[in-house]
Amino acid sequence: MELSISDLSKYLGVIPDTIERWVRQGKLPVSGKAPDYRFRKVDLEKWAALHHIRLNFSDRQRLEKQNQADFFLSEAVRMGGIHFDIPGGEVKTVLESSIGRISNIPDDFRDDLLERVMERENALSTGIGNGIAIPHPREPLTYLNQALVSICFLSTPVEYNALDRRPVSVLFFILCPSLKLHLNLLSTLSFCLKNTQFIGFLKSKPEPDLLIRQIETLQKTCPA
Amino acid sequence: MIAVMNRFKRFYYRVFQLDDRLLLIISGSIAGICSGLAAVALRLSLESVLTWLRPFRHYGWAFVFPAAGAVLSSFFLEKIVREKAGHGVPEVIYSVSRYGGLLKLRSSYSRLISSFLTIGSGGSAGPEAPVVMSGSAIGSNIAGFLRLNDRQRITLVGCGTAGAIAAIFNAPIAGLVFSIEVILGEWKFVNIIPIAIAAVAGAHVSQAIIPENILFSHHPFDVGISDILPSLCLALLTALVSVLFTKALRQTGALAKKTGFPFWARAVIGGSVVGVIGMFFPQVLGEGYRFIQSMISGDFPSGLFFTFAAVFAKILATAITLGWGGSGGIFAPCLMIGSLTGVVFYKILFILFPNIGCASEGAYALLGMTGLISGVMQAPLTGIFLIVEITGGYEAILPLIVVSSISCTMSHYLEPASFYFKDLIERGQFLRPGTDARILSDLNISELISRGYIKVSENMVFREFIEMLKTSDQNFFPVIDEKTDAYKGMIEIRAIRKYALDPGMYDMLFLNQIMDTNMLTASLENDLQEVLDMMEINHMDTLPVLDNHRFVGMISKTRILDLYRRELIMQTSNR
Repeated sequence: MELSISDLSKYLGVIPDTIERWVRQGKLPVSGKAPDYRFRKVDLEKWAALHHIRLNFSDRQRLEKQNQADFFLSEAVRMGGIHFDIPGGEVKTVLESSIGRISNIPDDFRDDLLERVMERENALSTGIGNGIAIPHPREPLTYLNQALVSICFLSTPVEYNALDRRPVSVLFFILCPSLKLHLNLLSTLSFCLKNTQFIGFLKSKPEPDLLIRQIETLQKTCPA
Repeated sequence: MIAVMNRFKRFYYRVFQLDDRLLLIISGSIAGICSGLAAVALRLSLESVLTWLRPFRHYGWAFVFPAAGAVLSSFFLEKIVREKAGHGVPEVIYSVSRYGGLLKLRSSYSRLISSFLTIGSGGSAGPEAPVVMSGSAIGSNIAGFLRLNDRQRITLVGCGTAGAIAAIFNAPIAGLVFSIEVILGEWKFVNIIPIAIAAVAGAHVSQAIIPENILFSHHPFDVGISDILPSLCLALLTALVSVLFTKALRQTGALAKKTGFPFWARAVIGGSVVGVIGMFFPQVLGEGYRFIQSMISGDFPSGLFFTFAAVFAKILATAITLGWGGSGGIFAPCLMIGSLTGVVFYKILFILFPNIGCASEGAYALLGMTGLISGVMQAPLTGIFLIVEITGGYEAILPLIVVSSISCTMSHYLEPASFYFKDLIERGQFLRPGTDARILSDLNISELISRGYIKVSENMVFREFIEMLKTSDQNFFPVIDEKTDAYKGMIEIRAIRKYALDPGMYDMLFLNQIMDTNMLTASLENDLQEVLDMMEINHMDTLPVLDNHRFVGMISKTRILDLYRRELIMQTSNR
């Protein structure tokens, strides 16, 4: 197999000018005359082995593009569900009844999840102000297959020790199998909750379909 | 008295410390004389024991001699001085490149005794590698006695080597060339003069004790232009034989290790086999100088087929002697096989073209020797000068150069690593001065680490971290478990920029939720080559370094380049 200068420059991670200089200085095994240099792959492999140089014949760019697949907030909300009229007068009871409502969580893990979410609340409140809180556990939940965001509207506002000291009436649960997804969803959610129109819309306890559609349009404007 | 001492010290400092050339010349010539004495002692004792044993060779039980010698030799090496078997030249080369030529004092006599036992009893090996080992150990220990630094010690190791080779062959230039070409691997002005003087000193010791001036004396050859074409063909033949010999040596050794016998059993088997070969081909036993002499003089009695078979018998005997527990070098066997090859070639040439009118059989024995030495050691200059000096055959210099260079090139093409270097290359220990491998092995990870990084706890809230970030210029923050101090992950500012610019995230995150736990880490035990490979494969510029799960510092390509360049300048400067 024969390679051109531009192929080789990609494999060695240097610009074509460098390759030309190496050829001129007699350091590379080359066939063909200037300016139409060709390199035989067999010769190059021998040369590289002799000089302990790593030739990367696979594509360099492909690796970096992986793991970039976006996961949308609206998708996670659809999985987690939207629940209304959550009863309870204090933090622990609202969290408990909310977790009881969320589907897609294996029943054996509900107690454990409550414990973890409470632990997080005790360390630092997740009430971000404007009557909204984002309860979540600190560690990723490895038993989940996909990320869940569950929106729970409380029947009565609850004293949540939030930043602005106002009682909380909406909870956004973020439950993820990995930290990366968690960061991603948290970041998108934080973007959405900066929008005052959206918060007003949220306060009107909208229909689930309308809410999800609203989130869909908002997340499109979110910088990746 | 003290005043005198002080003045002497000042004088010593001014003369020797500022410019060590004189010191190196004086101590180098002492090293040359000492190693010359060692070489002459081995050569004379071998001659006398071989002469003494010769009458017994005709008996049927004579094959036990090499076996007994090999057992004694390997017992001596394994149990008394506890050194590895083999010829020792790679060990010297490695010590020069890695440990500044540091060699043990006992190496200066251990190989002499073990190879005396092996060769004296009839094992097929040469006394040259043992005297090289001994000479270089003498040089190294003289340097240790004078408290010299690594660079000066390496020069003295070269002096010892040159003195030993010069003395055993009575060939000063060959000693100089071998020492620089094979052992040191770099032609440096500061090395050449002390080594040349040591070589001359070694040769003089040999001349003073052994009366004959030239190892293989002969009548002048009538070598002309008509010999160039035949010597071309001979060179191709010697290249093939060299590769065959190198392969045989290595594979017999590997085979012996694979059997799993204890060392004494291997020595018994190997020695007996060599003894049996010796019953049919008495030429293969011992170092073979006597037969080389007869071939050069042109009165080697055997016919074509016998000589042809003797080439293989000698290769086999040497491979078995060295691979199965004996101790000795390949220099003399190379000369022997080379001269046999040369004689075979001449005989075939004479049958094919009876009227060709080229030089005598002895001249071709000479050319064959050069071909084998250059082919096996891949050291063309050593091959040329050694043969010119030991035979005084300066008239054959032109075909010698032809044979040597072609044989060297051809065998290099067939077998890229020479016999001396092959083991080192396989173990990654071939580190010539000024090469990439050498610099990478000299720099170690702890020299390259940037320390003093601020560590953060995994329980820190992101807002606190952002506050800290405002006053810090670090790009990497190692995250640790605050109780155990163990490394948990890494926060790279580049990767978290998006979250750092979003105040809505500040109170939502603890650092353990945002750190990168998959970042590769290096450890202090890694060598630089491994770390660079890691960086290259994963396209990283910076790696955290851990020691026993604790964060030590970061290693970055920038810092590596910085120190690499300085190291390269230090290693390639002339002083």
